[in-house]
Amino acid sequence: MPAQRTFGMDHPHHEWSPIITRPALRWPNDARVALCVVLVLEHMEWQVPEGAFQVANLSGGSAPRAFPDYARLSHREYGHRVGIFRLLDVLEKHGIPATIAMDALTADNYPYLVRHCLDRGCEIIGHGVSVSRMITSNMSEAEEREYIQSSIDSLTKATGSAPQGWSGPEYGESDRTPRLLAEAGIRYVCDWANDEQPFPMTTGDNPFFALPLLYELDDVASLAQRKVTVADYQRRLTESFDVLHKDGAANGRLLALNWRPWLVGQPFRIAAVDQALGHMMERGGVWPATGSQIIEWYQSQIT
Amino acid sequence: MALPPDRIDYLPIIDRPVIKWPNDARVALWISPNIEHYEYLPINEGVRDPWPRTPYPDVQQYTYRDYGNRVGFWRMLEPLDKHGIRCCISLNLAVLEHFPEIAEAMIERDYDFMSHGIYNTRYLYTCTEDEEREFYRDCIDTLRRHTGKQLKGMLGPAITGTVNTPDLMAEAGLIYHTDWFHDDQPTPIKVNNGGKLVSVPYSIELNDSSVLRDNHYSAEYFADICKAQFDQLYEEGAESGRVMCIALHPFLIGQPHRIKYLEDTLDYIMAHDGVWQTTADEIAEYYIANYYDQAVAHAQRLAQ
Repeated sequence: MPAQRTFGMDHPHHEWSPIITRPALRWPNDARVALCVVLVLEHMEWQVPEGAFQVANLSGGSAPRAFPDYARLSHREYGHRVGIFRLLDVLEKHGIPATIAMDALTADNYPYLVRHCLDRGCEIIGHGVSVSRMITSNMSEAEEREYIQSSIDSLTKATGSAPQGWSGPEYGESDRTPRLLAEAGIRYVCDWANDEQPFPMTTGDNPFFALPLLYELDDVASLAQRKVTVADYQRRLTESFDVLHKDGAANGRLLALNWRPWLVGQPFRIAAVDQALGHMMERGGVWPATGSQIIEWYQSQIT
Repeated sequence: MALPPDRIDYLPIIDRPVIKWPNDARVALWISPNIEHYEYLPINEGVRDPWPRTPYPDVQQYTYRDYGNRVGFWRMLEPLDKHGIRCCISLNLAVLEHFPEIAEAMIERDYDFMSHGIYNTRYLYTCTEDEEREFYRDCIDTLRRHTGKQLKGMLGPAITGTVNTPDLMAEAGLIYHTDWFHDDQPTPIKVNNGGKLVSVPYSIELNDSSVLRDNHYSAEYFADICKAQFDQLYEEGAESGRVMCIALHPFLIGQPHRIKYLEDTLDYIMAHDGVWQTTADEIAEYYIANYYDQAVAHAQRLAQ
């Protein structure tokens, strides 16, 4: 429905709340910045199922090409075979826990990776069925509910526990998604890119929160779409952090990064993210945490 | 992964047989110039338009690429020769028929050749199985006729293929396919006829076509990322050998404003010890002789 010209948001999912009017948010140990790194393990399907929705500029390979596209499929598979391990080593070196957004096809078909992520203490959150199948309003409510549930079921089966968080493939949502996620037992969602702090969403009885990603620093947005150089990407990461660190003195900030191991995990890109994270951790006043840890803390502060 | 197309077993880089290259090299480096010809009046078979900008011919885009054969190729040879690089050419085989001076220059330097199709404007998408069989026969015969060499591998024409491609390549006696970007080491590709086909990592990232043409970066940036790639793989290659490919197109890297960055890149890399400067032919043969069976067995154990 088009917007009505009245106060506040033109949707029911959360309140209007400019950051300058909020009470100060404090992180553990008075950290100025909570740092959350989301690593996306998503499978590119060989053939897109009929009726599935993909964005037209879905990245990987040389460009979207006709079937069979060995290039894009295998370029993305690089993340599962090589890139993820490089990134986990870098995060571990800096003492940053990983939050892994894992789709159902990965959870079902890569038991080695699931075990590896669990052994290293990563939090695993829902990420739909595959990157070839986004949630959109083309789905009926029943289809969307089934899609969300099948993703949660795959992760629960693979990891032994139900995911607490969710990030839709390519940030895909319908106008029902927050409510359906909350009803399925999810506590927080990473699709909403409109803030530098978590915020509550109005989804019904269960508390449900947004954990906003900083969209411009998303690796696909920066590197694959805007074509920023690796050096410039490193500079954007560190300069963003520095501003959040300054602003976080008065009111704590969140820096949530969304990275694909097939992209930033490439050999020629890894040093840049390693150095950017090193800059952040050396600065002090940073709380590196998983999505759930951040939401749990946030909830304890606002209630 | 057992997911379709079920061609590549899952083998995490941290848990697989350790690769030792000849002379304990850390990085197997192959340089792959794409020596291509794009037709003036190609046939659009309806899947991908060879010249989407205008009705054919598109003189601007045709000549932009043909510049590579008339001028850029010869300029590109200078930094390659300076370092004695033995290239593995990604070859549109019709170039051997059209442009004998180019053929001679490549043969004289003892380059290896992988097929990159007959023309870069003839894609595999619409090939029937028999047409694709005939295509491999043509590629093999043409290379042998002009160079005396046995064809061993392929980068699909304009990176195209069919669902049958790996099976039919193996059936034709080819041993490597470079359309796969999933790894920093060779990996077995499953085929239906008992042949041994491997993926040798080509690059869609360290590729002047993606970096300079599609994504509009500078040649200085291209050199920067090639060096950064080398540094990372060189470090990791101390534990288990890695492959690095730099993919070139003479109409791009051979432009006057770009050539010095190829020289910079090669100056940097070739100053290191522990680099096996080789070709995809040699990497594939070495891997099949020494690691193919181990890798298959290891993947089977991991899957249990």
